[in-house]
Amino acid sequence: MYFVAEVNEKECAKYNCKQCVLFCPEPNCLNYKQSDHTAWVWADRCKGCEICVYVCSDLLKRHCIEMVMVKTGD
Amino acid sequence: MGLEYVKISPGFEKYMPRDYVDLVKFGQFGKEIDVMQLGQFKELVEEHPMCAGCYMAYFIRVFYAALPKPEDTIVLGTAGCARLALSQAAVPFIYGNYGDTNAVASGLKRALSIRFPDKDKDVVVIAGDGGLMDIGFGMTMHSWFRREKFTTIMVDNEVYGNTGGQESGMSPKGIQLKMAPKGKQFDKINAVELAQVAGCVYVARISPTNPKRIAKVIRRAILAARKFGPTFIHAYTSCNIEYSIPTREVLADARAREKKDFKFYEWMTDEVKEYLEEIERKEKEKAKQEVKS
Repeated sequence: MYFVAEVNEKECAKYNCKQCVLFCPEPNCLNYKQSDHTAWVWADRCKGCEICVYVCSDLLKRHCIEMVMVKTGD
Repeated sequence: MGLEYVKISPGFEKYMPRDYVDLVKFGQFGKEIDVMQLGQFKELVEEHPMCAGCYMAYFIRVFYAALPKPEDTIVLGTAGCARLALSQAAVPFIYGNYGDTNAVASGLKRALSIRFPDKDKDVVVIAGDGGLMDIGFGMTMHSWFRREKFTTIMVDNEVYGNTGGQESGMSPKGIQLKMAPKGKQFDKINAVELAQVAGCVYVARISPTNPKRIAKVIRRAILAARKFGPTFIHAYTSCNIEYSIPTREVLADARAREKKDFKFYEWMTDEVKEYLEEIERKEKEKAKQEVKS
């Protein structure tokens, strides 16, 4: 069991900002879907560092990303 | 090197790993990628074993997205954290012995300019503060004195992170580390001024808080190195393990340090300035024309 980021895509699509994608240290972990104007997480690559949560919640006050517990094999 | 070595031979697509096929189809080879498009293309660097929330990993991610010509670039690294991510990228990587990166890069750049006299081949050294300013200090300095035409990037985490937290020449004065229990007694080396005096034509100091600015600095350093001489970037990439920064606060720490001792600083000679302004003006015009058409 470990933490990964999860994007609330409905909330995220309102802003179209991509800032979390630009500050994630992992390559291709947080990606941007142009058709839906939302960020999405490739959970296998996420190490759970919460930098995206800091960017979204603390800096921009948009609260679209939260950390969730996943089990291996989910 | 060159675009040819990236392509998959016809008929072999189905046998290649998925990541490689993605890299050829949706990667940045042969395209002009803007760093603001991160997350919308397949990046050169793959999954790597660096710690969660490591800002050196972030800097390296932006570095690869900012390369002006990834297919004509060779990256050199040495022992230290950076090599863990550098060796996972789709750009040729040479792993020197500790401290000899700039000597290897000198020979490599000279060989490339003899073998491909009519092409621009970029050589970039990325090493830590230990590899460039402590153990590799002599070779780094002498490559600058000889005015070798390649880029040196120092990813400064202010500690020997791989080996348990010894102080390095770049650790700030007074800092207490696991292997420096009394606190560091000496000042941090002023690498940027050293580089200026030693003959670098483009010098920058940066804290990774703005991807667009990082990309601009890296691009400028590589372009200036093609024509004029050595270029140097000093980047602050905190070690969240040895400095006990909670991963969530890593960006906040980079922003705080930017306000204190890592203020953005850029210096270049007049001829480099002229050359870069000319290139950037042409790029802007090209972009404008594309928007119109």
